[in-house]
Amino acid sequence: MEIDKKTLEYLAELGRIEIGKKEEEKLLNDLQKILEYFDELKSVDTENIEPMAGGTAQKNVFRDDEKDENGKTKNENLVRQFPEKQNGYLKVPPVFE
Amino acid sequence: MDINGLTIKKFHDGLMNKEFSAFEAAENFFSDIEKKDEEIGAYLHLTKDLALSQANKIDVDLARSLPAGRQGKDLGILAGLPIAIKDNILIEGEQITAGSKILENHIASYDATVIKKLKQAGAVFLGKTNLDEFAMGSSTENSAFKITHNPYDLERVPGGSSGGSAAAVSSDMAVAALGSDTGGSIRQPAGFCGVVGLKPTYGAVSRYGLIAMASSLDQIGPITKTVEDAEILFEAIRGKDMQDATSVNYESGIRNYGLEDIRKLKIGLPKEYFIEGLDKQTSSAIDEAIKLLKSLKIEFKEISLAHTKYALSCYYIIMPAEVSANLARFDGIRYSRISNPHSLISNLKDIYFNQRGRGFGAEVKRRIILGNFVLSSGYYDAYYSKAQKVRRLIKTDFNKAFAGVDVILTPVSPTLPFKIGEKVDDPLAMYLSDIFTIPVNLAGLPGLTIPVKKYKIDRGELPIGFQLIGKPFREADILGIGKYYEQL
Repeated sequence: MEIDKKTLEYLAELGRIEIGKKEEEKLLNDLQKILEYFDELKSVDTENIEPMAGGTAQKNVFRDDEKDENGKTKNENLVRQFPEKQNGYLKVPPVFE
Repeated sequence: MDINGLTIKKFHDGLMNKEFSAFEAAENFFSDIEKKDEEIGAYLHLTKDLALSQANKIDVDLARSLPAGRQGKDLGILAGLPIAIKDNILIEGEQITAGSKILENHIASYDATVIKKLKQAGAVFLGKTNLDEFAMGSSTENSAFKITHNPYDLERVPGGSSGGSAAAVSSDMAVAALGSDTGGSIRQPAGFCGVVGLKPTYGAVSRYGLIAMASSLDQIGPITKTVEDAEILFEAIRGKDMQDATSVNYESGIRNYGLEDIRKLKIGLPKEYFIEGLDKQTSSAIDEAIKLLKSLKIEFKEISLAHTKYALSCYYIIMPAEVSANLARFDGIRYSRISNPHSLISNLKDIYFNQRGRGFGAEVKRRIILGNFVLSSGYYDAYYSKAQKVRRLIKTDFNKAFAGVDVILTPVSPTLPFKIGEKVDDPLAMYLSDIFTIPVNLAGLPGLTIPVKKYKIDRGELPIGFQLIGKPFREADILGIGKYYEQL
């Protein structure tokens, strides 16, 4: 698998990451090597193998649909961390122009 | 007081016998940290005010609980204990950076469940330890803030990503510490720094309040000086938590294994772990450990974990996929914003690009982009789905092996602690540091690093650890064997 500049730019765009020219070169080179390493997986026979999605005990966990004050994070603690805020709300730049 | 070599047990005895107060102990640790940490660099941030007030409270409780001859038994084993916390675990009101520039101004809004439990147990938090950015790395060199040095050789890495926690415990700058382990991040630095590290079974410890890296793999666990201490700390933090749906309750099994119980456990040696690439000194150290364990009359058996060699590829597909999703939340909007020379940026999308571009380091970017790649349509089946199937095969290998043995013994790392700067520009070489620890996370098993005794150690020599892997939720087996090994 070859990863080209265009693909890299697309992937960075998806990840909302700005990357510089020099960074781009190194990234391309590193990713290429890593993807080549992954080629070894092609030789593994995975016919009829169920994909494994997570850890050990995969069970649904339910709780009563009630307000749980226990362990609730203090609202003001979260608001205090917002870089921009107004009247206790998170301030976000306009999404639609 | 002499804080060198203090274990949890020794600290507790000293406190109960009034050899020192919790406050004195904390102050002693801070003055030692001031002296030592300039050259080691284990801590990112000291939580001195918090620690001293916690310690003070313990002293008050202690004075109260000791009327007329009573021995203060109301105070638990962790009361007043000075411990260090990896800086990806939240303590309310304290800095939390995860080693990343993108969070450099962030203050934690709540306590992680493990922190809540330790607070209730009376532990004293000395500070937050250095780590690879968002726990991504094997040397702690990926921290945005500083390099941590191996206490045994300052030119070498302490391992990673919990390198700060391991170095702090190893150099007596904390009695114990918490780390997190996604592919070896507790066990590998513990091995490099000559201390004990436990990655519990997936689901054993709540991750609520741990900054998520790869959610199907992450676990919090203890880094300590002895196996006994690891057990004590593990017992204090484990258990079901409604805030982490993957956490489960289970019986910890027999806690005090007798030698007869230990002898009933069979240890497997997987031939795929004793390979050519294994460092010679490491290999002979592991042989030493096996020889000593055999002297306990524990039975050994050669086993096979056939898909071991694919674990690294499998991991470096699954983990970045989860990373790319988990790190989407760091957008420069909600948690913090790094200062911007071009303050004219006011468009939402531009803020994302700018903040993430400048806030994330090279390894984090590499993994997000790799994760996006393996998940994108056209490549999903060839990479992500394939890796999930291989993960199943790796898990099945362990299941089969555990039908014939109770515990598996392997090296922790294929090499000795390497030089600072040696692998930092070659990601693939760095990734190979974790080939013996990664399969354990993929299979969700508990793994324990114990320093090999022979290498207990002159200055200039480097520590070497071995790893015991247990069945799911059978930490008791590996800790039990470890405790007997330690006493030999």
